[in-house]
Amino acid sequence: MTVQAAPPVTRRVESAHRLTFVRAIRGEWIKLSTLRSTWWSIGIAALLTVGIAVLIAQAIDVPGFEPIQAVVMPIQFTMLLAGILGAISVTGEYSTGMIRSTLAANPKRGSMLAAKAVVVGVFMFVSSLVIFAAAAAAVSVVVASRDQSIDWSDPAASILPIVVSSLAMSVFALIGVAFGFLLRSGAGAIAATVGVLFVLPIVASFFAVAGEAWAWVTDASNYLPVAAAQSAILPENAALEGPVAYLTLAAWVVAGMLAAWTVLRTRDA
Amino acid sequence: MITAEGLTKRFGDKTAVQDVSFTVQPGTVTGFLGPNGAGKSTTMRLIVGLDRPTSGTATVAGREYRKLRAPLTEVGVLLDAKAVHTGRSARDHLRAMAATHGIPASRVDEVIDLAGIAPVSRKRAGKFSLGMGQRLGIASALLGDPHTLILDEPVNGLDPEGVRWVRQFVRHAASEGRTVLLSSHLMSEMAQTADHVIVMGRGKVLADAPLEELVRAWTTNTVRVRTPRATDLAAAVGGPSVEIVSAAPDVLDIVGLPAARIGDLAAERGIPLHELTPTTGSLEDAYLALTGESVEYRTKEIS
Repeated sequence: MTVQAAPPVTRRVESAHRLTFVRAIRGEWIKLSTLRSTWWSIGIAALLTVGIAVLIAQAIDVPGFEPIQAVVMPIQFTMLLAGILGAISVTGEYSTGMIRSTLAANPKRGSMLAAKAVVVGVFMFVSSLVIFAAAAAAVSVVVASRDQSIDWSDPAASILPIVVSSLAMSVFALIGVAFGFLLRSGAGAIAATVGVLFVLPIVASFFAVAGEAWAWVTDASNYLPVAAAQSAILPENAALEGPVAYLTLAAWVVAGMLAAWTVLRTRDA
Repeated sequence: MITAEGLTKRFGDKTAVQDVSFTVQPGTVTGFLGPNGAGKSTTMRLIVGLDRPTSGTATVAGREYRKLRAPLTEVGVLLDAKAVHTGRSARDHLRAMAATHGIPASRVDEVIDLAGIAPVSRKRAGKFSLGMGQRLGIASALLGDPHTLILDEPVNGLDPEGVRWVRQFVRHAASEGRTVLLSSHLMSEMAQTADHVIVMGRGKVLADAPLEELVRAWTTNTVRVRTPRATDLAAAVGGPSVEIVSAAPDVLDIVGLPAARIGDLAAERGIPLHELTPTTGSLEDAYLALTGESVEYRTKEIS
């Protein structure tokens, strides 16, 4: 046995560089904002939203048609982009191995999940606000030619649908995040997200003609994320009442995050 | 200090790590050796909380990795160089990691310079060569100026300058009182770098000892003698604790006697010696002797 000198005492200077939740959010924001795919998704969502909104505003000229409807209707198409952005923000980490660096820096997995959800959710909300505002400006120009306008003095016909649509976009993105953590594979998570947002409503619509015995399927489909979002965005004659629609959207997010946290907590990375 | 206590990890019915216990002391470089599939990487993943142990515990500085308040300043981890998003630049990758601990951008630039990746730091990591990826991995491990370094194959893919830099860096880190655990398959490199060695095989710890002690215990010191009167010399040095192998008519490999004694015995009898070469065992010899039984993926001997 060789005699070893007593090991020098490790410096125990209490470092200012500590992990905090706010800092974890900053880290997630840098990760999201430094990927080209993020800005591609947002760019395409902007083009689709403004383009389709203008088309709708030009095509539909019937009494009772509110111009704001043209602004928010493109969400039918851009919802998939939101879901996919959320999904790949997670699966991109798994497919490249980045997740191991992420967890080395923030091994508290619940905090990592929450930080990512906050960043993806807020980013999607804010960029959607900007995109819908741009679409509203474009639609205003189109409808001005027939002496129509978005009535900004009436929140229910202007700002409210825009804010709620942006919230819905962030709900769709968070559903993508949840599937990302649950499935970890890009293809799987995107398929599941598209399935819930896009395919299930179509499947449910087949049952609308199936008779009374299948009416429950149609009723249940009102609680799917996109249907609930529609009820929340344009509450007139909506299938779900306002509070129920909001609660449904919130429930999708909460359920998705809880499921993601359950698997993330114990699974090997 | 890193402590593993009764660490066991099963994947299905395969046991990757079985009842592994060891302590890695501060102020030393501890080498982590073992054949492919011996469980080294799994053990390291258990230490940093990427995998959950089936049973047992692993702590760094007395705490589970997941409970550290500042993981990056406590532990620098390089598990594999490909723990980087391929679409992000090296600098942005480091910035994102640094941000989680409030580590300033100046430190990001510092580790970029330290690791020698300044010229490519704004390139996307997916375009990096193996060596550059490795350097980026080392830069990430150094971000928080950590008290403990856990490096899995840090010199894999590095050029000779990089290999030497890693060696000098970890030696320096240990001399400052930091804890260093590093794995490598390059025995000559490990022999120059490590003070202490932990050898794993088939998921278990085979040896845990200071390097010199391990080499002494698992190798034999041989003296090669060349003489025209080999038979006479063999008779002169022969004894119960001496082993003599004749490699050629005029060559003897003698185990159990120091070279000086063999020379003296030959001189007393007037036996001419044309060569008298003591050879000491290397870490590689010790390693091969130790893991011979537990190599999972064996190659065929080339005859």
